[in-house]
Amino acid sequence: MSDHPDDPDLHGGVDLPEYEPQAAVVLTDAERWPTLTPDGAARLDAVRTHPSAPAWVHAAGDRLDAEGIVAAATPLPTGDWLPDHLAAARELPAYRGIRDRLRALDDFPLVTRDDLLADVSRFVPLGADLDGIVQATSSGTTGRSLVLPEHPVVIARTFHLLHRLAADAGVTWEPDPARMALANVIRQRQAFTYASVLSGFRQATMARLNLDPAQWPEGAAGRAAFLLDHDPQAYSGTPTSLAELLDPRLVAGLHPLVIFSGAMELSAALRDDLRSAYRVPVIDVYGLQETGPIAARIDDGPMTVLDRRVHVEVLDPDGRPTEARGEIVVTAGENPLLPLVRYRTGDHARLTTLPDGRLALDDLEGRAATVFRAADGRGVPSVDLVQHLQAASVRAWSVVQDASGDVVARMVGGDTATAAARIAALLGREVRAEVLDTVADLGEGKPRRFRSDATVG
Amino acid sequence: MSADDAAAQPTSAMLLEAWLGLEQDEEGFWARAVPGPPLQAIEERLTSVPTQFLDERVDIVALYSDVVGAAPSWLAVAARHPDARLAVAIGCWLAASTELVGPFHPPLPAKLIPLWISALAFRLASVSPPRQWLTVADRREEAARTILLWNMLLPAGEDLTTARSLFDARDSLARNRLLTTVAEEYRHRMRLVRELEKKRAAEAAARYTNV
Repeated sequence: MSDHPDDPDLHGGVDLPEYEPQAAVVLTDAERWPTLTPDGAARLDAVRTHPSAPAWVHAAGDRLDAEGIVAAATPLPTGDWLPDHLAAARELPAYRGIRDRLRALDDFPLVTRDDLLADVSRFVPLGADLDGIVQATSSGTTGRSLVLPEHPVVIARTFHLLHRLAADAGVTWEPDPARMALANVIRQRQAFTYASVLSGFRQATMARLNLDPAQWPEGAAGRAAFLLDHDPQAYSGTPTSLAELLDPRLVAGLHPLVIFSGAMELSAALRDDLRSAYRVPVIDVYGLQETGPIAARIDDGPMTVLDRRVHVEVLDPDGRPTEARGEIVVTAGENPLLPLVRYRTGDHARLTTLPDGRLALDDLEGRAATVFRAADGRGVPSVDLVQHLQAASVRAWSVVQDASGDVVARMVGGDTATAAARIAALLGREVRAEVLDTVADLGEGKPRRFRSDATVG
Repeated sequence: MSADDAAAQPTSAMLLEAWLGLEQDEEGFWARAVPGPPLQAIEERLTSVPTQFLDERVDIVALYSDVVGAAPSWLAVAARHPDARLAVAIGCWLAASTELVGPFHPPLPAKLIPLWISALAFRLASVSPPRQWLTVADRREEAARTILLWNMLLPAGEDLTTARSLFDARDSLARNRLLTTVAEEYRHRMRLVRELEKKRAAEAAARYTNV
């Protein structure tokens, strides 16, 4: 998973007013879960009021009525969806003036995050039904946050997608009233957290949890008590937060069926650690807030493009399709309020075709590919460093080269000395290695995995 | 947008957006409109605009300040566009004429002067060049109807239905496809912003992944 800055909770290190507990809460429970039964409400209450529960920062439901539950559980048909999608997109205000030229996909200009930031309404159909829309917030590591329109049904389809991915990995995941169905975890100083109910999964509970021990009244012990009591069937989270699940107290008592990683690159070492700790599939999901999930994998292979309304291209710097590594450009048709065509992800990969005919993204790397400068002036792409770090079983890292060319590698886990030596050989330079104890020591939120301020000759 | 772009003359679309940005309640004005002076009286006053008001070198901010009073912020936008400038000058003439020539019967309410001058400068000038208000009968009638509407007045002898249908029949905006689209997209943008800012939308919905 790429190092993508699309987590709504990444606002830096200052205390922000929206994180005051319950500051942004306006709905009633009946509005959050229109079909909530007394049994469902009792389960929700047990999560909310657990003696070791964290201070819930927010409240949020899936907002699905009976019709919404059915719609969310029904994937949009993916047979030949693209022509209709392009026809609808052609009418967007963004394309006024050039509409007549937009016949095929590659007639469409590339769209960037800045285009959405400038005026997202130009990418929302004029006749769109805006009743019941909700905000989806995407905060970049630089610049302003992007507020996108989404519909509860579109958001809830993501749960069913996770369920399908688990089934594809051989996992039987049935609602169990005695357990939480899903824990969506993050680990950072401030984050929105809430308890919810999955209306379309027999009203089993879910929660968004901040695994930073400081966020729990009883610290790590309370965190363990809460998790062990609810024993979530599935976890989804950032690698930084999933690494917390390696706490021996948790490994001894939790029984997840499946683990989903997202939002940034999951190292092979961390994936292997999680897999051997829990003996369950660890599924790495690649996607952006703007497009939804795009691709996924359960092993070291390429990321398989998902069977949903996403069309993936990989383009060279001149915007032409390339078989080499290039920028991932996505046409996304799951959110009718934001029918994107040729959206530049800023992530890079190589597009390949799997033996079964499905498309996949190989050598996926987040954001603009960082290029390091070797001692002889050569440019060395960061993907080359990834291979060495992973080979040495390093679980997390931050490799930074300053303008003079000096390199510092901060690493967690694995054979850091070997990894540093291999990077040094690759770059023909000395590498100063710093060994950190935990992934969290890399810093809050998503650290920039690679940075180079050196100019490539 | 660069500073140079921002200082450049606004296009017709920008004039229309400036008008839409003022968020005037057209429906409310129609709903509360009462009988006003005859359309012809307004049209005659328009054709009698003295040539010095039509001089392109006239400082419309100074003119507006003399005739109406303190300059509103939109005047700076109007001052950058020749048609909007001329529309303001013509509006100033009409306002001044109620003392120089004589009042309308019933009179135009003084407190609405800034509003109807802004309607001339942005709403009307974006689709109908002000010089035509003086020379082309239909365009002059459209200007007179615009002035009365934003005074919350109906032309003498017309009921609401008649006044609205005649206004619509003369409306240059309705005949300008591009600018109609601009107006539609502007309203769309405002609606989306309003809906997204609602607290119900801001509470958001439970999410399942970190992508």
